[in-house]
Amino acid sequence: MSPYDLLPRFKAQYDANNQEFSISGVVRPQAIDELGPSIALLRDAIGRVRGVLYVNVRRLTQMNNAAFHAFSRIIIDACRARPDLKFVVITSSVVGWTSRKFGRLSGIEPNITVEEYDSEFYPGQGFLEEGGFVPILRSQTKMTWRHERAILPRHGMRQGIVMADICCGIGDFAVLVQKEFQPSRIVALDHSISSLNYARQVMREFDIRGIEYTYGDASEMLLDEAQFDLVTCRHSLQIFNRPELILKELYRICKPGGRVYITNEKNSHCLGEPRAESIRWTYNEVAKLFGHFEMDVELGPKSRRYLMEAGFEDIRVETFMVTNLDGDPQDFADVIAAWADVYAGEMATRRGDGAEFVARFRQGFQDHIFAALHPKGYAGWPIWVASGRRPQ
Amino acid sequence: MGPVQHDLAGEPTFEPMIQIDMEIKGFVSAWRHCDYVSTYMARMISQNRSDSVRHSNLFSSAFNELLEVAFRTRHADGELACRVSRHGATDRIELTFPCVPEERQFYEEAVSQVAGTEARERYLNSVSGDLAPSREIVLLELAVDYNATLRVEEADGDVIRLVVDLPLEGLQH
Ligand SMILES: C[S@@+](CC[C@H](N)C(=O)[O-])C[C@H]1O[C@@H](n2cnc3c(N)ncnc32)[C@H](O)[C@@H]1O
Repeated sequence: MSPYDLLPRFKAQYDANNQEFSISGVVRPQAIDELGPSIALLRDAIGRVRGVLYVNVRRLTQMNNAAFHAFSRIIIDACRARPDLKFVVITSSVVGWTSRKFGRLSGIEPNITVEEYDSEFYPGQGFLEEGGFVPILRSQTKMTWRHERAILPRHGMRQGIVMADICCGIGDFAVLVQKEFQPSRIVALDHSISSLNYARQVMREFDIRGIEYTYGDASEMLLDEAQFDLVTCRHSLQIFNRPELILKELYRICKPGGRVYITNEKNSHCLGEPRAESIRWTYNEVAKLFGHFEMDVELGPKSRRYLMEAGFEDIRVETFMVTNLDGDPQDFADVIAAWADVYAGEMATRRGDGAEFVARFRQGFQDHIFAALHPKGYAGWPIWVASGRRPQ
Repeated sequence: MGPVQHDLAGEPTFEPMIQIDMEIKGFVSAWRHCDYVSTYMARMISQNRSDSVRHSNLFSSAFNELLEVAFRTRHADGELACRVSRHGATDRIELTFPCVPEERQFYEEAVSQVAGTEARERYLNSVSGDLAPSREIVLLELAVDYNATLRVEEADGDVIRLVVDLPLEGLQH
């Protein structure tokens, strides 16, 4: 037998607390007997639950018709035997066939509903995906790139590697990497359809090759295990309420010996002179505002711990400060203005902040801009870079 | 995409992408060959699709079913040929494999049923029915869930050629 045969290709689990049966992986049996234990588990779950049984197929990447029929039959039979019971099948919008195939079940039995789990999954996901973030991301990447292009080679970036950029946003970073380092392949994944459309349009217009944009969920990716020399995930761990789940996925797709590279902020450490006090106050509030939406924009210095706990070795951490002196101070000012728009605008409104607070909150951003454009001023935005190697 | 090109028969021209041939004996010696071949070919042909990862997942899912159909052939000799070609958003799979004359007739009937209006209903009935999905149902499902169009093409000797057009690029977002 090859090692391939020894790998468990799928996994079925039952979580009694949530009344949830889940099956994940590749389920392509030749004969139904191969599914024996999983089928028994489902039957057993049906016997125990009251009200609703959730059937989670979000991480099911493949299932042949033979297996689909076997599981469907049990569910359909249960509907007929126990009209009190409802089934909710949870599919993923990422795995194209699951919603269509499982969706048919609700046409057969009204007690089966099929839901595509999606963007509502993470507390802060809404405004990050479709909100006013695009202009912010553009200018941010332009400014961070000046630093990162020198930093990346210390974290495993080289010509010819196979890399993935997870939570790629509008793809600017992937494009810059492609030009500067010429990896042999870049897979760039995000969960925002509009950002990906934008990225693809840029790729077409500038005739860029070697980048594959894909729609996906960073916490449950369709990408195979161990295929990338370098996996980058920039400014994004900090937006998930459970960053460790994302790191686990980054680890999984990274080759043994390859590296995972993350960048994150510590917003309360943004600074400026003059008007330091007002600036400090506002960025402390930024951290709290994100915290309200379960995002940790103070994550930067915690990167080392996260990487260690995810099982990485040879962890390297460094910081850099984007400042008004890097290039045109106006660029810096534009980024701050964009932050002010979203943070003191949409986000503050959603939290229900009063006018007085918002005015003071905005003032700090204005002061930061003032510092950035002041002939003797200094304005900074610190970033934490960290990477770890997946053990061989 | 350039202008649509048609050959003499009025069919658009499909550009060949990849072909794999193997002895049917070797192929049916292990079930996992269906999974290997479908996964490998899906990856190869999806690279220049707008979302290669998701395209590959969908393609593999559909193609694997066809390979599982071929796996169940009752004819033990000859070659299995899988060919994928492309026209715009549509990928065409041509699967040629040996079969006995009754099977050939069976496939011809099955494919003509797929085109019928009640395809969807027949498929739903099969899902709630007792029997494990037959080869016919598998073909139906391709039409129902992947908008595939299927036909059987003339081939020499004891072989059958299934031609399946998959408009997967259009199925995605
Ligand atoms: C702060 S942005 C960072 C974007 C990019 N890395 C950059 O530095 O410009 C966060 C990105 O994560 C994406 N995102 C949010 N939830 C996601 C998920 N579950 N899976 C994949 N991407 C997600 C958002 O669409 C957004 O593009």
